[in-house]
Amino acid sequence: MIVGDFGTSYTKLWKVGSSESPRVMRSTELGPDVRADYGTGHNAHLRSDRVVNELVALATGARELVEAPDFLVVDCGSRDVKFIAFENGRFERAGWNSECGSSMGFSIELLEMHFKLDYQSLQAQDEHLPVACGILGMSAVFDAVARGEMVEAAVAKFVKGIAVNAHRFAGCPSKMYLCGGLCENPLFVRSVPAEVVPLGRFLLLEGLVEIAGKGKWTTSAEMRIPP
Amino acid sequence: MERLTGIVGVPPSATIRKVIERGDTIIDLDATVSRVNVEAESRLITRYYCAILRTVLSNALKLPLEEIYIDVGEGKCDGARHIKEILKRELSIPVIATRNSDSDRRGNPICLSSLPLVEKFEKIVESVELPDGIKEDFPPSSPVCGFWGVPPRDFELLELFPDSTHVFGWTRCMENKTPSDGQLELEFDPSVPTVFYAQSFCAKNSIAYYLAHIHPRGFYIDGDFSISESTKAKVEAFLELNGIER
Repeated sequence: MIVGDFGTSYTKLWKVGSSESPRVMRSTELGPDVRADYGTGHNAHLRSDRVVNELVALATGARELVEAPDFLVVDCGSRDVKFIAFENGRFERAGWNSECGSSMGFSIELLEMHFKLDYQSLQAQDEHLPVACGILGMSAVFDAVARGEMVEAAVAKFVKGIAVNAHRFAGCPSKMYLCGGLCENPLFVRSVPAEVVPLGRFLLLEGLVEIAGKGKWTTSAEMRIPP
Repeated sequence: MERLTGIVGVPPSATIRKVIERGDTIIDLDATVSRVNVEAESRLITRYYCAILRTVLSNALKLPLEEIYIDVGEGKCDGARHIKEILKRELSIPVIATRNSDSDRRGNPICLSSLPLVEKFEKIVESVELPDGIKEDFPPSSPVCGFWGVPPRDFELLELFPDSTHVFGWTRCMENKTPSDGQLELEFDPSVPTVFYAQSFCAKNSIAYYLAHIHPRGFYIDGDFSISESTKAKVEAFLELNGIER
């Protein structure tokens, strides 16, 4: 069985039960015949036999890894931000920001390529740029650079702005679990004004496997995060 | 020759009865009855406004109406009062404001029935044109979830819910023929997961949001002309994660 998270910029695929790790590839480089038995993500309906709601996949995957009854998980991807919160183990609230505040991960990657930056080494900033959405935020970066600000500082303030937006969108939690492509960006993780517990970018695949009833694809109990 | 009379909101039963006795054909202007082109009306009304009232304006400007009865005040909303002023100035037909304070409760058999949710709303909306409501038997159902709010501009939202969804909020007031019954509007069932809905830009968003907050398993959403994919996904997730099967 193949499970797939068919995102806007990246696709994550995993052959359940195989010894191989999940694969990540650019969605634009995906061959026409690539399909999954269970899929989620923006393009899942084009490539999956069964499409699973992204929030349900997110919630199911997070419940597999997080043991706390009260928690909030945020998925920061290329195009949108989603979150889901549980209280006493039950659904409490959810949000999915796909229009205002969109294209945040996408624009972070664009800036990295444009300015040839390394997010591993950039310092997180205390200040942040006003970032209504990824595209408008990039204009703020270019304006700041034109005013004489160092590129590294301007981009870090932009990333901080995105992190602050995502945190506010989730209701300003003191602690949040984070998944999606941006949880592999150390500058972004350091810029979130809350305690952040990264869960990796394959959390939705974890949810799909659980939903498919085939058991966990991660083998280690140590993957479970205690309360 | 057929005489068309437009209505907005839920005018008093006496008004509806009078229009029917006159032999007029009633057109519910809140519903999509003409080819709505809201952009064409943007010279008259801001885009950032209730989609229902923008639909009213679009219908009223396009249809060959003889007269309009528009309910304003507690039984409808302040927005309707402002739309009435626009219509009065833009149209050459009588635009008559009503204030529905009917208090004769007709009950909520449709809201409590096992009909598919879309059908429930269709019947309740149709019943606005019937001064005594729909006289049919609807067997009651045991609810698995609730929908609180006004009839949404986009009924596609309602297709996400199971048949035994009970209806609350202003829609319940509509069926009951008491649209200004503020107490009835506030009722909900705390024992079932409930979606609290309001049209974007509507003042009812504040109470929908608050009721969702105090409901043990409430979930607030809003919607504009059409329901976004992310809103649909949120509702699907809410239902699924509460163990509700469609």
